[in-house]
Amino acid sequence: MADQDKELDHLFAQARAARDVFPDDLAVRIETDAEAVRLARSARKGRRTWRDKMMAIGGWHGVSGLVAASAAGVWIGFSAPTFLPDPADYFVSQEVTYLMADLNLDETYLEETE
Amino acid sequence: MEDLTSYPNTAHGGSSAAPDPSDEELLGQFADGDTAAARLLTGRLGPRCYSVALRMLGNRAEAEDVTQEAMMRLWKMSPNWVPGQAQLSTWLYRVTLNLCVDLRRKKRPDALENVAEPEDQAASVVDQIQESARKDALQAALDQLPDRQRQAVILRHIEELSNPEIAGIMDISVEAVESLTARGKRSLTAMLAARREELGYEHG
Repeated sequence: MADQDKELDHLFAQARAARDVFPDDLAVRIETDAEAVRLARSARKGRRTWRDKMMAIGGWHGVSGLVAASAAGVWIGFSAPTFLPDPADYFVSQEVTYLMADLNLDETYLEETE
Repeated sequence: MEDLTSYPNTAHGGSSAAPDPSDEELLGQFADGDTAAARLLTGRLGPRCYSVALRMLGNRAEAEDVTQEAMMRLWKMSPNWVPGQAQLSTWLYRVTLNLCVDLRRKKRPDALENVAEPEDQAASVVDQIQESARKDALQAALDQLPDRQRQAVILRHIEELSNPEIAGIMDISVEAVESLTARGKRSLTAMLAARREELGYEHG
């Protein structure tokens, strides 16, 4: 039995002697995989997704706040409250009156020309 | 069965690896995009992974595939590794052993089919004798051990890991490791003795 134990120990020693030998092509394959993983990861970092952009303005809360503010702006633009002056009047109506006065046109003239 | 005591290629790392930086630090560097760290880790951990896979499977091509897959999992999980949670080598050994067990389970039905029909009896016997002569006796015996015993024996007597380390890898107690390795060694000794008798060798 002692001889058999010795034989087993000898076989273990043989196996250990071969342990640190590693195929070069396997090392190349593993390093190529590592590079592929690294490149994929850096490409993912470079590409900001819609989700990333959403998170940058505060997630869903940020997005809903932005949408509400935009909608309110559009609504105020279309139907301003009566107590507020319409800024468009300052530009459009005054300008048109001024031009009409300049041309010295009256309604009779307009009717004739038509 | 292949002769697993000789290899066609040269050493690629292993025992000569520098002690600094640690495996964990290298993994962190790789996660930060350092390619050189991946090369160092391949040199340190690849041979250990391959050695275990080779002894678990007894087949070089399969051992290479398992090693590549285990290392691939290492690269992929690198950003999620929590330093200090465990030894990196423990994690890698565990992944490697699990991959080996999965592969052996998948392979078993095919292996049984292949054994079935020896067409030319005479040629087959000659082949078998030649094969036996070339056979790695240890591998032939290891292949007969139950999975857990084989894992414990390989980690203890070929990888030379401590019992607590093996207990960590196999997720069992140190006593269980001792029991598995003792039973494994006893079975191996008996199998080697039986093999010598089959081949007609004298004892001693």
